[in-house]
Amino acid sequence: MKSAVCAALLAGVTLAAQTAPQKIAVDSPTLRADQTMPRDHTPDGRNISPPLTWSNVPASTKELAVVCEDPDAGNPPPFVHWVIYGIPATAKGLPEAIPIDPAAAMPAEIAGAIQGVSGFRRPIYRGPAPPPGKPHHYHFVVYALDANLNLKPGLTRADLLAAIQGHVIGQGEIVAIYERKAP
Amino acid sequence: MTFISRRDLLKRAAVVGAAAVPANAGRPFQGRHDEPDDEPERLALRETALHGEAMAPREPLENLTAAEADLVEAIVARLIPTDANGPGATEARAAHYIDRALGGALASSRQTYTSGLAALDKYSRSSRGKPFTELSATDQDSILIDVETGAATGFTGSSAAFFNLVLNHTHQGTFGDPYYGGNANFTGWDLVGYPGIRTMVTAADQQRLEKKDLRSNHKSAYDYEAFTKATAQNRSRRSPHKEGA
Amino acid sequence: MATRLKDTDVVIIGLGAVGGVAALPLAQAGLEVIGLEAGTWLTRRDFAPDELRNNYRGWPQAVQKANQEIPTSRATASSPTGPRGNLHPMQNAVGGTSLHYWAQSWRLNPWDFKVVSETKRRYGASRIPKGSTVEDWPFGLDELEPYYDKVEYEVGVSGQAGNIGGKIDPRGNPFEGVRKRAYPMPPLRGNEFLEKMASAARTIGWSPFPGPAAVNSRSYQNRSGCMYHGFCNRGGCHVDAKNSTAVTTIPRAQATGHLKVVTRAHVTTIEVDGDGRTTGVNYVTDGVEYFQPAKVVLLASFTYENARLLLLSKSKAYPNGLSNNHKQVGRHYFSHHQGAGVTALFPFNLNSWYGLPAQGVAVDNWADDNFDHSGLDFIGGGNLWVYSDRRPIGAAGMSTFGRVPNWGSAWKAFIKENADRSNSAYLQKSTLPYEDNFLDLDPVVKDPLGYPVCRVTAEYKDNERKIAAFIQDKMEQWYREAGAVAIQRAPVGGAMGVSTHAYGGTRMGDNPDTNVVDRWGFSHEAPNLGVLGASVMGTSGARNPTLTAQALAWRTAEHLAKNWNAISAGSRRPSVL
Repeated sequence: MKSAVCAALLAGVTLAAQTAPQKIAVDSPTLRADQTMPRDHTPDGRNISPPLTWSNVPASTKELAVVCEDPDAGNPPPFVHWVIYGIPATAKGLPEAIPIDPAAAMPAEIAGAIQGVSGFRRPIYRGPAPPPGKPHHYHFVVYALDANLNLKPGLTRADLLAAIQGHVIGQGEIVAIYERKAP
Repeated sequence: MTFISRRDLLKRAAVVGAAAVPANAGRPFQGRHDEPDDEPERLALRETALHGEAMAPREPLENLTAAEADLVEAIVARLIPTDANGPGATEARAAHYIDRALGGALASSRQTYTSGLAALDKYSRSSRGKPFTELSATDQDSILIDVETGAATGFTGSSAAFFNLVLNHTHQGTFGDPYYGGNANFTGWDLVGYPGIRTMVTAADQQRLEKKDLRSNHKSAYDYEAFTKATAQNRSRRSPHKEGA
Repeated sequence: MATRLKDTDVVIIGLGAVGGVAALPLAQAGLEVIGLEAGTWLTRRDFAPDELRNNYRGWPQAVQKANQEIPTSRATASSPTGPRGNLHPMQNAVGGTSLHYWAQSWRLNPWDFKVVSETKRRYGASRIPKGSTVEDWPFGLDELEPYYDKVEYEVGVSGQAGNIGGKIDPRGNPFEGVRKRAYPMPPLRGNEFLEKMASAARTIGWSPFPGPAAVNSRSYQNRSGCMYHGFCNRGGCHVDAKNSTAVTTIPRAQATGHLKVVTRAHVTTIEVDGDGRTTGVNYVTDGVEYFQPAKVVLLASFTYENARLLLLSKSKAYPNGLSNNHKQVGRHYFSHHQGAGVTALFPFNLNSWYGLPAQGVAVDNWADDNFDHSGLDFIGGGNLWVYSDRRPIGAAGMSTFGRVPNWGSAWKAFIKENADRSNSAYLQKSTLPYEDNFLDLDPVVKDPLGYPVCRVTAEYKDNERKIAAFIQDKMEQWYREAGAVAIQRAPVGGAMGVSTHAYGGTRMGDNPDTNVVDRWGFSHEAPNLGVLGASVMGTSGARNPTLTAQALAWRTAEHLAKNWNAISAGSRRPSVL
């Protein structure tokens, strides 16, 4: 299952349903496309998840998922910084600073959303900590799905992508950059 | 001892009392018979009393500076928190264990603590804008996660190595024999359900354990006169023979 | 200038598990024996049931010799040496590591003595793994049987026989080699969890049996039976029920009047004369040097130190190290692949607080050649051993099976429920020697006296990795049959590192070109030098080495006593250059 997903991605084929997924426009009050992200979204600052907004989401969307990944890291790449799914279709984006305390409730506008397991092996957002000397690219990818998949907690990015295969009717991303200087 | 000023004591009590405390918090741990407490005001006061008890002035610090001890207390309180499941590393006095051991068996880590604690606090100030001890519990957890994953900067080598060292020592101070200064009141042993040191365990005892009918005897190895304490190396005094490290 | 001491018949370097055994038949034969032990005597009063001290610190060794000589280690000759551990697996004391070891006390299976000829016979010569230097032992199990028997009774081993005189007893191991008689004591008691595991094994058609232990299951030789207090793992026994040589063979040897125990004797080199015969041993006590002359030297300082002492003892007759003119010292080294274990999580308490690692249930169906390897791509196998042993700090450090982080409230809730619910099997596997795996002296790192420490160059090869993957499958199957709900497996490959189960370096065999000692344990090159310990073993079998090393030690000592005149005054062999 995993290798099929990888092969599909490598071939440039999407996880889409019948037709090509609609292009979702992803924006952020704090991130600028292809620009350095604010340090508060990294461990150099408060390490809080960035706010995202999206539009041009298909009308028949039932729920959304978001992944933050760094193709410049990971063995194999990408290194996964965040997995969050089960986002209600009514949400227009994600508020900033999604809680890291498992006992805390999700913000009302994304009630029901579940954080999956990142490359740091925790179900929370952890921002960029790239080895010094080279900027890395952080892709915040938004998926719009055509069904409520009742996804369980604890999914990795690979698990998520496998589960949503064939259900993606919309997809978009915003890419931000971060670099650490040598000490 | 960490000398806690009255101001600090009240501040901590206020933080604990005012925080969103889960329904079952604050109840003194009583083996496996936790009962829900549905009187929030009494709950908050009891929580304060518990913490006040744990932070009362005790014996002087042996190796850590006051600032280092405050930081270690704050860290261990997040590693094994006091919560709905009862007392944690604070009540177990894991920080006291570490302070004592740094003069003896863990002396080779003394310098690591000095530099690691300084790095952690500096990282806290530079990334979160405040000293670690002034952050909320959630923000402290966020820092510790970054230290644990190696994302934190300013450490000698990876911050993850320092994190693992402190976590290991916190376990020793929470679950080791109380003779060494930790696992106070057998807090750690009660948490894991260890029924205490026994020099003889008959087949009947084993069967009682299997029927959940063996209460902890709350005994340390050194409650038994049969064993020499000298080899526990509780003190950092030198000996003509090179003792085990 | 070293103080020259009075001559003696035999000097034994190291009074641990095997040196401590060899002393007895020699002393009983009336030979004058001096046992040089780097450590000191320890007694029951030193053995507090203290997990922190026993398992996380350096234990009550008054003398820190081994911990200052920890070998360096690298996977291959082209890898760098990794960071050294901070605790040596062995213990310096009278009785050595037999004071705190796990005391599992196994005989090898017949196949372990004849791996080459049996593999050729059953599967063909091409099935011998590439690059392995394995040889058949110069004798079979039947030759060693009387010595296994001797040590089991002399030291005290509790267990359940499976094959007495050819008659199989289903309560024991149906795969074991023939033994003359039962164990001197019944096995250690079982418990509810072990019974559950045994029952699960029987359900899937396997043959579980209680494991043999050098621990009294009842009162024996005026020593108490086991108290099951839960601190046997790297802990001394407070009632002398763990049958270390310090409470069995050594005092008995002393009682003959012919064994002198010298403690705090740090041996540095072995001396030889111009003919290549050993003349005695140099040692240091409290900074003062001594030379102990002897007619015969027996080296019994554990695998790493055995090879190291030989390599450090250079002379005109032995420019590459004592008994190393054939360049075999350090070769054919391996450690037993016990790291690729399996851990299980059960949905109920196992009640393991008051057990010991020797208290357990074993399955040998997948060990050695006990099953058909025709369709498989490896030879050998592993012993499945489930034991009942747990202490609080260790329990707190348990795997969370990916369910929660390792700290915080979620972790605390997990540990409160699961601290007594995991069980780990370390899966000992038959391991072979290879051309690439060897011991030598580290070119850089030295001990406080300035002598180079031992360096281990060894990694697990294909055959061992395949056994590991196979045996992990079997262990998982067993755990799940017994109700486990989650399983974790350790990785199967990598460097061998420094281990408690270390073999080779002074291998025993008839061929002097490929072995350091002959079939009796005496050097091919220096006829009055004997070597004791697992360093003489050429294969490991799928079980702990100690009883086998002790049986070999008894046999070597008995041979020495019976052939005293020849060995102590024998002429130089042609193999010495």
